[in-house]
Order: sequence, then structure tokens, then C-alpha cells
Amino acid sequence: MTRRIWLASYPKSGNTWLRMLIANLAAQDDQPVGINDLAATTNIASARGSFDRLLLIDSGLLTHDEADCLRPRVYEELARGPDDDERDPRETPPAVRFVKVHDAYTLTPLGEPLLAGARGADGAIVIVRDPRDVTPSLASHRNTSIDEAIAFMNDRDAQFSANTTKQDLQLRQKLPGWSGHVASWLDQTDIPVHLVRYEDLQIDTVTMLRRALQFAGQAATDDEIRRAVQFADFARLRQQEEEKGFREAPQLAGARFFRRGEAGGWRDELTPDQAASIVAAHGAVMRRLGYDVTLAPLAARSGGARERDCAATG
Amino acid sequence: MSTAATFELSRTVHFYHIAGLSVGSEIMLQGLHAAAAGGDTPDVTIRRRPVPAAIENATALGPTWQIAGQQFLLRIPGVARFLLTAGKEIAFEAEPGADTGDIPIFILGTAFGILMHQREQIVLHASAVRVNGKAILFCGPSGAGKSTLAAALAQRGYRLITDDFCAVTVTDAGTPVVHPDGRQLKLWAQAIEKLDLKQSRGERVRSRLEKFYVDPGEAHLEALPLGAVYELREARPPLVPGIERPNVADAAALLRRHAYRPGLVARLNQKVLYFHAAATIANNAGIFHLTRKLDFAAMPEVVSLLERHWREIGLMEKAA
Repeated sequence: MTRRIWLASYPKSGNTWLRMLIANLAAQDDQPVGINDLAATTNIASARGSFDRLLLIDSGLLTHDEADCLRPRVYEELARGPDDDERDPRETPPAVRFVKVHDAYTLTPLGEPLLAGARGADGAIVIVRDPRDVTPSLASHRNTSIDEAIAFMNDRDAQFSANTTKQDLQLRQKLPGWSGHVASWLDQTDIPVHLVRYEDLQIDTVTMLRRALQFAGQAATDDEIRRAVQFADFARLRQQEEEKGFREAPQLAGARFFRRGEAGGWRDELTPDQAASIVAAHGAVMRRLGYDVTLAPLAARSGGARERDCAATG
Repeated sequence: MSTAATFELSRTVHFYHIAGLSVGSEIMLQGLHAAAAGGDTPDVTIRRRPVPAAIENATALGPTWQIAGQQFLLRIPGVARFLLTAGKEIAFEAEPGADTGDIPIFILGTAFGILMHQREQIVLHASAVRVNGKAILFCGPSGAGKSTLAAALAQRGYRLITDDFCAVTVTDAGTPVVHPDGRQLKLWAQAIEKLDLKQSRGERVRSRLEKFYVDPGEAHLEALPLGAVYELREARPPLVPGIERPNVADAAALLRRHAYRPGLVARLNQKVLYFHAAATIANNAGIFHLTRKLDFAAMPEVVSLLERHWREIGLMEKAA
């Protein structure tokens, strides 16, 4: 029986990097897996395709709440069998199917887990990233200002793909603030969770990947893991995007999906006020995850930073 | 009403042609042109009557549907349950608290599309317009832009043949033929605004959705030979805008992928049916990928690309 593992994260927290690491475990002919070879549309929980295909109902004729009420049925069904009619039934099913999800862990209007609890998956690898680094990345991804990204991350009612005057490619996803999102996954008790901090994944990718795979029940040799880490190195992912483009990138001229990928990059991108407001809003969850809330932006990027340094020393 | 009595419909009857079939319905179906009452028993009847929550001896079942022999049960929670029998009858019962105005759109789309599968007919998730006496189909999953492209082409004088689903039969002479039904387009508010179609906007398809019926102007109602099938794809890396012809094996997979409900092709043992249809369509008409940006601003380019292609494949006269 294939185990189903959610790769759950707030957007711009390293989900795609982890997916590329996992995909490269099976890299063939010593060639890195192409970033556009990730099953982009079918391999996310909020894809419309599986919903329409398994329920036989056009999700586009339902309200967002109606679709939410039916989504648990989709994940139960996917957990029961192959999720692709086109797949050759003679093929051995994979030991683990990893499925990306950006939805927070929420309940439907009928009060059941949107992702069908233990009936929908065997566990979740939850990837978190310092929200101060998420902010500039999210702003770039959504083509907004930093302040708008901060507001989005503070908004308990924030959502993706929630248009009502057109049909978004994906089903609506609730993102009840960065803290609310992280807490929803860590506090749920339906399925086991393995927490991965983006920063730790960066410091020791091999060890963090090995632990995540152990949790998932995915066998991999040390050689396979080392090779996957090389193939999915951030610089190589970014190079692939520069050369061929990335289908999951924002469809805006010049927009890039793989941007900086650094831990602590925020220290030269946020003003002190912006950094402070993120800590004020999310400090509790940041501390819970072990992020140093006392760090300040590097000096002299803005007038604000200098003033604060002066005030602190004066 | 003597006509009604012949096929035992008890209430007021509305007559339609859907995908080449005559239909008698106890419920008015917005989004379709009414047809004159025929003397014969309609091919398909649509009735309001009690529909069970489950059917006995189901041989296949999903979360919202069950199959047992010639019966197909579909439940749209909060809207209605539908029982489809032998490709000839759609019975429906509103779910408690449902807005009955929400039911017709599901009869017209989902239920009728599944009924076509039950009739062992090729039915594609496609919109279609008329070009020089031939039907041009645009396939894609929900949200791929089928209706929007058909609307844009209708604005340029290519008459709408169908929207959402498209029935194809193959004549004895081996010609694939498309059956129109004069249905209206369904468009989201944003598409209506971007295409400047406010004046043609009709009722909402459901009371709680910003999606509306849109009158396509004069529709084409006669069966037409199939001219070409395009699969709509979004130009995202590594795909670039353009039209290309897949090989025969890929074309066959493409056609099955765009069956109205692809999962039913396997469930109802119709893989061979679709394979043969794909071969016939590929030989007689042509199956293509149409890759373009999902952006209203790109629409004029897409139309030019198509018109160029229609000249290339001989559907339109070459420009002098």
C-alpha cells in the first residue's frame, strides 16, 4: 500500500526545494530532474483535476465552501487507489506518494478535516521558514510590496485562489496568517508530523533529508541522498529556471521563483519597522520554532535602521 | 397534453435538442433554446421523482456516484441526486434545502454528459464553433478557457456550435460528425467584462455564482462534419505559444483525456471506442495542441494563429 505524505508548508517556505530533493532521489542517467518535470498540476492537494475526475462534478460549478465540503472525499479516494487512470496498472505503485499542500490544516463547514485526517494521509512533513525570510519572497511571488506581504501574513482570513468572478486554476486555499498556518499543522492531532526548518535543511541538507525520508518510510541509500542534494542544489535550480523557465513561477515578466534561497536574507531586505512588526505578530510561533526574535536588520540599508541603531547606543 | 401522455411525463413539458438528441423535460433548462414539441417519444426524458441515496448491486462506486448495470446515480450534495437510466432517462430529486434554480445547470452539464457516456457515444469536454461549414473543437479541463475562446471566436463571426460538452458520432461513410444543441455559453463575470459581452449576459447559472449564461448570437443547430480538434494548453515553461500536431498515439491519449468524464471511459469499457474515434478524427480532421497565454490581451493573437492554421490545413481559403 502506498503511503501518502503531505509536504505541508506556508507558501515560499521551501516546499518546492524539498519536492525537487525527493524527485532527484530517482534521477535517471545521472541527469538532474528538470524543474518542469515536477507534476505541477496534479501533485498539489488543491488541484482541481483530481477533484473533478474522482467526483465527476465540475468544481467550477461549486462555491468555495461547497467544494471544501467535498474535498475530504477526494483525499480518501486518492488514499485508496492509484490517482491516475492513465497509470499502467502493471507498474509497481510507489512506496510513498508525496503531495504538496499549502492549505492550512482546517475543518470544512461540516466540521471534518479538509484533508481527511488519517484517512487522507499517513503523515505530514511540515516545512517552516523564518517569516522574515518568507515575507520578501512572498512579496516577489505575488508582485506586491513588502508591507502588503506582511499584511497578508497577518490576515487570519487570507486565501489563495479565492476569486469569485473567475475560475482560478486551483481550489481555494485558506492561509490564516503565517502563525495560524504553522500552528494549524503542528497542533492537529490527526496525523503524525515531522517538522523541517528551512534553515536546518540548508545547513545540513543530507541529514535533514534523510530524517524526513525515514519519517515518510521512503528508502534511499546514502549515495542517492547525496546525489539528490547535489542535483537539487539551489544554484542549480535557479540556473534551470534562468535557462528554461519554471512553469510554477509567477507569470510576470522578469519574475523568478527561485530568488535568493538564503537564510537570513531578510536582514538586508526588511526595514527595522517591518522586521519588528513581523516579530510582534508572530513572535510566539517564531520562538516555538526556535527563531531568534532579537535579530535586527543589517544596519544602514535604510534611514530607519540607522536611527534605531543610534537610539540603541545613545 | 396528448404528446406528453405518450411518454408519461406528468407535468408541463419542455422540449429541447441536446447533442443531436430530442429531450422532453419536466423542468425548464435555462441556457438552451427550446425546440418545437415532436410527436414521437423523445430520446431522453428528464423527470422530477424520488431518487434513492444508493442503488443496489453497485459494481463501481465513487464518493459521489454509483454504477449498477444500466443505472448511474450521481449526488451533488446540497443540490440534487440524479439517477440516469440506460442513456434514456434522467430522474432528479432536490436535496433538502436546495435552491431548485441550481439544478438545471447540473442536468445540462454533468448529468447529460454522463448520460452520453452511458449511450456509448463519444462525448468530449469541449466547446465548438463553425468554420466554413465544419466544426472546430476546443478541448480542455474545466478552467482551460474553452468557453472564453469560443465566445471570442463567436464575436468574430464564427458561430457557436456547443459549449462544455460536445458529442461526436462517426457516419457509416467514416466521417466524424458533431451534434450541436444551441446552448448558451457560460462565462465568468471577469470574462464577460474583458470580452465586453455585458449586453449578451443572461441569468446566473447558479444563484451563488458569478457565472452567467451568455447569448452567443445566432447559433448553429445542424450537425456538421468535424474539422479539427484542439487541446487547449497554457503557455507556461517549457511550453511556448503555437500549434502542433501530436503523433497518433499521443492524439489517441489526448482524445481520451478529454472525454467529458475520462474516468468513465475505463469504467464503462469504452477505451476501444475512444481509440477508434481518435484514429478516425486524426485521419479525417486533425488533432492538435493549441498552446497560448491564458491572458485576455493575447486573444487577438490566438485568433490570428488559428485563422492562419485554418488556411494551412485547408479549412479556409488562403488569403489572396
